[in-house]
Amino acid sequence: MKSKILLFLMSLALIAGIFSIYACGEKPEEKEKAKVVAEVIKVGSLNDMTGATSDVGKDYALGIAEAIHYINETGGINGKQIKLFQFDYGYRIPEALTKYNLFKQLKCVAILGWGTGDTEALAPTVARDKMPYVSASYSGHLCDTAKTPYNLFFATDYSTQVRGLITAWFDKKWAKHPENGQRKPRIAACYMFASAFSSASIKAYKDQAEILGFEVGLDQDVSLFAIDTKSQILALKEFKPDVVLHTNTVMSVAATLRDAYALKLGADHIIKNWGYDENLPKLAGPAAEGAIGCAPWAFFGLDVPLMDKVVEYAKKYNPGIPLENRTIHTVQAWASALGLAEALKRADKAGDLSGESILKNGFETMKNFEIGLGIAPVTFLSTDHRSQSEAKIYEWKDGKFNLFAEVDLKERWPDKWANEWLGW
Amino acid sequence: MRNKLIILICCSFVFMAAFLPACTTGTKAPGPTEQNFKAPIITLKSVEVVHYWGWWYFSSKVAPTKGKAGNYGAPLDLAFIFDIQNPNSYPILMDSLKFTVAFEEFDLNSLSSMETQWIPAGKTNQLRVHGMFDGRQSLLSLLVTGGFKLKEKGVGAFDQLEKWWVGVPEFAFPISVKEGSAVFKADGLTKVAAFSGTFPK
Repeated sequence: MKSKILLFLMSLALIAGIFSIYACGEKPEEKEKAKVVAEVIKVGSLNDMTGATSDVGKDYALGIAEAIHYINETGGINGKQIKLFQFDYGYRIPEALTKYNLFKQLKCVAILGWGTGDTEALAPTVARDKMPYVSASYSGHLCDTAKTPYNLFFATDYSTQVRGLITAWFDKKWAKHPENGQRKPRIAACYMFASAFSSASIKAYKDQAEILGFEVGLDQDVSLFAIDTKSQILALKEFKPDVVLHTNTVMSVAATLRDAYALKLGADHIIKNWGYDENLPKLAGPAAEGAIGCAPWAFFGLDVPLMDKVVEYAKKYNPGIPLENRTIHTVQAWASALGLAEALKRADKAGDLSGESILKNGFETMKNFEIGLGIAPVTFLSTDHRSQSEAKIYEWKDGKFNLFAEVDLKERWPDKWANEWLGW
Repeated sequence: MRNKLIILICCSFVFMAAFLPACTTGTKAPGPTEQNFKAPIITLKSVEVVHYWGWWYFSSKVAPTKGKAGNYGAPLDLAFIFDIQNPNSYPILMDSLKFTVAFEEFDLNSLSSMETQWIPAGKTNQLRVHGMFDGRQSLLSLLVTGGFKLKEKGVGAFDQLEKWWVGVPEFAFPISVKEGSAVFKADGLTKVAAFSGTFPK
């Protein structure tokens, strides 16, 4: 009998001992780990923080990370957290291809990409792998789903931007020009010939110039790293352009504007989105006055839906960077991240987070989807990934960006939009 | 038989005695709250030249002995060692850390660490972040973000890079860590710590 009582007591003691380990002894590390290993959705992000486009790429990269924090802290993807793998590839295409393999190894379900060269180089691979790829390259080449079905972006594509810029200048500036009706308007372009990004919309530029009856001057090769463009400006002076198109990033655009101003070129300047941000007036000074550019999103800090969150998260997650140094590129990064998150939510609701489902049940179900941030509503068709047809054009005047024109290319040239312009 | 049972019971009580105090302490210690979650203190302890190849640059016009021609500059492998002090009375998880590296006043690289690590209550961990600075990459970064500043100084980009690459073994110029931020988590709460530093001090 005594033995039985002792056995009973021993069992009680052992149970209590085990309980003390498992119930009471749970450490914070384990609790946190449990949260961390709760369902996560892995997303890769390729960014240029140190390379040829780092003048605009760093701010975009910061915006991507901040937007993912916001998404995770506001419910994630239907309760699942996004784990972001963000890498700087220095704008080197071979490294982008290598990082893409790493993303696959990490089992990322989608990628937030960057430049035109690497995005176009990866397009056949992402199509084969059915990997949704939201780039910060807005090359028109990426919109034809017959060729690049898994490439998407939340912006006006470069070709539509350039067509919109030329059209807006033609409508508003040339219409009032004293020599209108006496001769053709003259246009020329400055860009880096060897850059896939800079030259992506040149074919569309020449086509649009022809449609509107421009005389087109010789293209000027301006490196993305140029700080002295006097020889190009002197060459342009012989042609006497009324307007010059710039398709580089902001540093070299600022250098070109400075030299054009110093050498009294006397032309207006129209600029693709990556060359037109809050840093342009800082770098170009008075030479930026009157510069016209395309900006599909609101500039940083403007009063549009969700901008309060963009500013709040910039302060919260990068407190060491003054807000006055943040730019529109943060805003466009948010548009990319929020757009991808919406596609992931829709695919997740459909119960399938495969690449094909993210595309079909996610992106391609967006019809006039409102992201906020000043971007026009987004629509992706299974046959056409031009998410919008409107080019929002601003003019830098009297110390601020003023809305100059909104050109809806689809509305203005419906046949060409539908039958000719897709994919270039 | 009876003695064995007594020994076993004693062992069980010893076992309990060992773990229950921890349990009791755990419940008494204040857990993380928005109010008591203090930002960890991050200090740049040192910078090391991990691997060094001197200074050279080949343009794509130079035919290589093997492989493809291209624009290649000498790589420079630096390591940044940080002390990360947890001032809280509970362990915290470092989720990520990132910062910008400047040579003198020129931003040259952005580095990050995505690996998580736990820092015990009141303790200091160390973190080593590697940064590869290759000559070509640094040239582009320097031109595209510091081109105007170089122009104002009247210094060529190659001259500036050579000065840095030749001088770095002796840390002949200041290397700064700036715009640093690190994300920490504790029981679902998040805290971001800002940091900066210069080496040599």
